[in-house]
Amino acid sequence: MPRSTEEILADLARGVLDLDEDLAVAAAHEAVDAGMDAYEAITKGLVVGMNEAGRLYDEEEYFVPELLICSDAMYAALDVLRPHLKVADQGVKIGCVIGVVKGDTHDIGKNLVKIMLDVAGFEVHDLGRDVPLADFIEKAKETNSQLICLSTLMTTTMDGMAAIIQMLDEEGIRDRFKVMIGGGPISRSFAEKIGADGYADNASSAVRVATELFATAAA
Amino acid sequence: METLVNVPADTQSSLERVVSYLKGEHPQRVACFPLILNHAARVLGVPVGVYNRDGDVMGRAHVATWRRYGNDLVTIFSTTSTLAEAMGTKMKFFDEDAPQIDEFLLQDGYDFSRINMPDPEKDGRLPVYLTALEHCVKEVGSEVVVSVVLGGPFTTAAALRPLDLMTRELYKDKAKVHELLELTTEANLRFIDAIMERGGLPIIVEPIGSASLVSPAHFTEFVAPYLKRVSDHLHAKGAPLAALHICGKTKPNWKAMLATDFDLWSLDAVDLAEAKEAVGDRVVLLGNVVPANMLKNTAEQIDEEAKGICVKTLDSPHGFILGSGCEVPINTPFENVDALIMAARKYGRYDGHNVA
Repeated sequence: MPRSTEEILADLARGVLDLDEDLAVAAAHEAVDAGMDAYEAITKGLVVGMNEAGRLYDEEEYFVPELLICSDAMYAALDVLRPHLKVADQGVKIGCVIGVVKGDTHDIGKNLVKIMLDVAGFEVHDLGRDVPLADFIEKAKETNSQLICLSTLMTTTMDGMAAIIQMLDEEGIRDRFKVMIGGGPISRSFAEKIGADGYADNASSAVRVATELFATAAA
Repeated sequence: METLVNVPADTQSSLERVVSYLKGEHPQRVACFPLILNHAARVLGVPVGVYNRDGDVMGRAHVATWRRYGNDLVTIFSTTSTLAEAMGTKMKFFDEDAPQIDEFLLQDGYDFSRINMPDPEKDGRLPVYLTALEHCVKEVGSEVVVSVVLGGPFTTAAALRPLDLMTRELYKDKAKVHELLELTTEANLRFIDAIMERGGLPIIVEPIGSASLVSPAHFTEFVAPYLKRVSDHLHAKGAPLAALHICGKTKPNWKAMLATDFDLWSLDAVDLAEAKEAVGDRVVLLGNVVPANMLKNTAEQIDEEAKGICVKTLDSPHGFILGSGCEVPINTPFENVDALIMAARKYGRYDGHNVA
């Protein structure tokens, strides 16, 4: 007897949360076979599991390895579901450019933020690491993004963040973008000092801050 | 800053101050270990890219640093990946920054035949460190402890195999990770022996074992057993103490860290008052002015921050040393390092002088 939609959604979420890629992928196939709406399977299944994983990460129950494996499970199941998405479901997403600023190659924190923003429904353009400062602005303009996320682990490169904000000012386009920063040496006071719009100290709070930035903007 | 007439002159040398800790006695005032690593190049006035590739320059930079600041520990270092570099990982060098990893040796998988078990006398830049060590020991070794800072087994492994892959393999390919850690532990011991033969104190840094990255369960399984072998080796070889630095957040891992039997912990993004409660009389605590503050804040702010740390940590049962939470940033203003050391002299007194 086929299982209920609720049971399949629960397995999609559990597969992600419990680091069980096989379960998540099997549940995704089951959802497709049962004719479930792919968008619902993603948002009410996979995303629920990933958000819960993010919460556990926030509470220091989960750490980097757990979050990475959860996201592997999520993306593997997503690959199964994505071909079945209806075009209308894609909606209009807020574009976001993310990268590690020039001079720094440490990107694991940036990768986690990217995953969580993706889950939260942002359209993420990842520039990678050691990114020339002007590239952030170019890419943001090109993709019509509204959010620029800057990461660094090193004190030698943190001033690059201030330089990017200054470049936006000089071009007279500062108000077109929200700039969010984070990484090892970054603090709230540094963010305020350089005029960033948001500061986040981990991947899970990054999503909260980003969402709030646009909730405020919409209000 | 206020006038310093009330601050007593130091009559103990840096070495005597540190020896007090080893004897379980209070020094006149707390020792101060700003973790001056690549910043030493600034003190000598040479490019960082020259400092980290020329042992003679590196040694002269640290002697100049000690003479300039009077830091109570000389800390020879360029990156946490130097041991991995000697094992085959390729680094990218910069004129004015520390080297970074360019190509991981094990990017494509665990091909252990590619790993070079390093000979510290000739492989990678290990001879640069050893030359610098010899220079410092000869010049200032009678007055201050000279240490060489090296990446621990887990950190060295993550500089051979990319971290995002290796962290997944903590679940999916445990045996391979352990096999790699066996090799990086062996490399650690070899370098430690070469350092100790020259009268240096090896200091182990294990940033990749930070709780920002791995869970207590993984720390216990993949980090602690190998660190324990390193500390056992240090003790067996007669090191006066086994010192461990872990950057970032560490609180979730403190219990597992205790099992590694290190005698001194250098901590970063934690509350030392909590650490003091957690380690009791087992560990000397070192820390923890925020590194970015060393770079960005004023000397007055450093003084204030260091004072707060001294006030809450001075009664740590096994001892307390004032320092920076992690590396003093390369471009830190000299007066901020001065302020940190002066704070140890002002707020870290054990001899009854009430300066503050």
